[in-house]
Amino acid sequence: MSRKRHRLVPETFGLKRRRELGDVEADPLRGESGSAREAVAEIVRLFPRVLFEDALPPIALRSQVYSLVPDRTVADRQLKALQEQGEIRIVQLGFDLDAQGIMFTEDYRTRVCDCVLKACDGRPYAAAVQKFLASVLPACGDLSFQQDQMTQTFGFRDPEITQLVKAGVLTVRDAGSWWLAVPGAGRFIKYFVKGRQAVLSMVRKAKYRELLLSELLGRRAPASVRLGLAYHVHDLIGAQLVDCVSTTSGTLLRLPET
Amino acid sequence: MLGFLSARQAGLEDPLRLRRAESTRRSHPDVHKYSVETVQWYPHDTGMFTSSSFDKTLKVWDTNTLQIADVFNFEETVYSHHMSPVATKHCLVAVGTRGPKVQLCDLKSGSCSHILQGHRQEILAVSWSPRYEYILATASADSRAKLWDVRRASGCLITLDQHNGKKSQAAESANTAHNGKVNGLCFTSDGLHLLTVGTDNRMRLWNSSNGENTLVNYGKVYNDSRKGLKFTVSSGCSSEFVFVPYGSTIAVYTIYSGEQITMLKGHYKSVDCCVFQSNFQELYSGSRDCNILAWVPSLCESVPDDDDETSTRSQLNPAFEDAWSSSDEEG
Repeated sequence: MSRKRHRLVPETFGLKRRRELGDVEADPLRGESGSAREAVAEIVRLFPRVLFEDALPPIALRSQVYSLVPDRTVADRQLKALQEQGEIRIVQLGFDLDAQGIMFTEDYRTRVCDCVLKACDGRPYAAAVQKFLASVLPACGDLSFQQDQMTQTFGFRDPEITQLVKAGVLTVRDAGSWWLAVPGAGRFIKYFVKGRQAVLSMVRKAKYRELLLSELLGRRAPASVRLGLAYHVHDLIGAQLVDCVSTTSGTLLRLPET
Repeated sequence: MLGFLSARQAGLEDPLRLRRAESTRRSHPDVHKYSVETVQWYPHDTGMFTSSSFDKTLKVWDTNTLQIADVFNFEETVYSHHMSPVATKHCLVAVGTRGPKVQLCDLKSGSCSHILQGHRQEILAVSWSPRYEYILATASADSRAKLWDVRRASGCLITLDQHNGKKSQAAESANTAHNGKVNGLCFTSDGLHLLTVGTDNRMRLWNSSNGENTLVNYGKVYNDSRKGLKFTVSSGCSSEFVFVPYGSTIAVYTIYSGEQITMLKGHYKSVDCCVFQSNFQELYSGSRDCNILAWVPSLCESVPDDDDETSTRSQLNPAFEDAWSSSDEEG
């Protein structure tokens, strides 16, 4: 009597989800041993330009570069060299002193030109911004500017500096010193902070507070993640907000104990 | 408290078990009233040591009689003090307190009238350079770390800037070494570089002659200490290491490349301080779980020659061998 059940019970009820053998996205971490410039270019490709209607230059974060370039010291030194050559600009994003945004100088100049001039056509600070972009940007590659540098070396008066701050190109750092800023970056920062929290909570809610990277990337992004899961995952790995453990099934992201 | 362990330098004969050499009892009339923050042997011999504590005093002790030789009183709690290890022309002790002024106390005259002004908040760590006897580094809760020449009246030499921006007079006030409080300072053994840790969970390596950030990145060095963090560097190794308390473990990094070698796990609670003994190449660490652990480098075993009989003599230190045997005949 062969009334043996030849199918396993779970199969009968179709509970087992067959793992898709489709295109498994290549682990973003593997095979990236290139230079910092390639890393920045790669992240810039991930940046969603349509979301900001091209008003913002594509911004990469320093932590994302760390996730692509395995040795941090080398990454820092290469970024510093690129900054000195004038290829990239580094700005301080306001929400965390550690998070610095990196963008190609060309992108920054074109976008700021377009966006600021569009917004302030005819207003008094158009002239100040033009002067700033033409004279200060190429000359000084630093993140911040000091009072005497602006007044003596570049010939800005105090009202003009106030106009630059109003236009969003400079942010106050301390009495008499300013950070370079991206006008209109507030929206980006808001989406970024919300998205980072959302992706972290995805890992936190998982069982044992760990998730396979491939599974995380395969999930549907929650509504608060507007910049893309891959963008945020690079940032979390580079900022060491999750520990990366390599396992036989791929990379595992685990929340650190502390 | 780790000062007692350095009694080994004086040559106690039992190298394997560290014995408490001496201690002041709680009933000692001159004992500190609150927690002792820093203890340091007199750099030239062990006849004297200094201790500073939250009870706003710095006490100078005579080791042989365990009596106080001198007391310096301050207006604020003392976070840290240091005596220069190479000083021959001065006997100054640099003291960092809750006030923004760094005080220099002179052991010869007993006065502490020399003050270094420049910081804006409490001074969490001070350290003399092991290369030049007049160069002092201080770290403060206002995110700044400064290098001073104590002979100079007009102010600090360099304020360390993490962004390596342009050096200018006005910039000095805005330069920060870390994005949080600067908790700990340590010069490398040759004095050419300076390591700082901050509550922004970063450790930075600076060139101590021009104050430039060498941009060596150690990753996240978890640091939530509200007081100073005492970490240490090795000396005499072929690539120098820095040992930093990291929560309840000790993280070991190579200084010049930033690579993390290992995490030493052994303590049950957070590690407060660690000290390296270069003669024995050992690390001692003290923690909140009331233990002091001595970390010995594990020596790699030599490969036996093919000719010899395999030596059954184990390569282990005889102290770690068990005295019991599992066979039934012997006891």
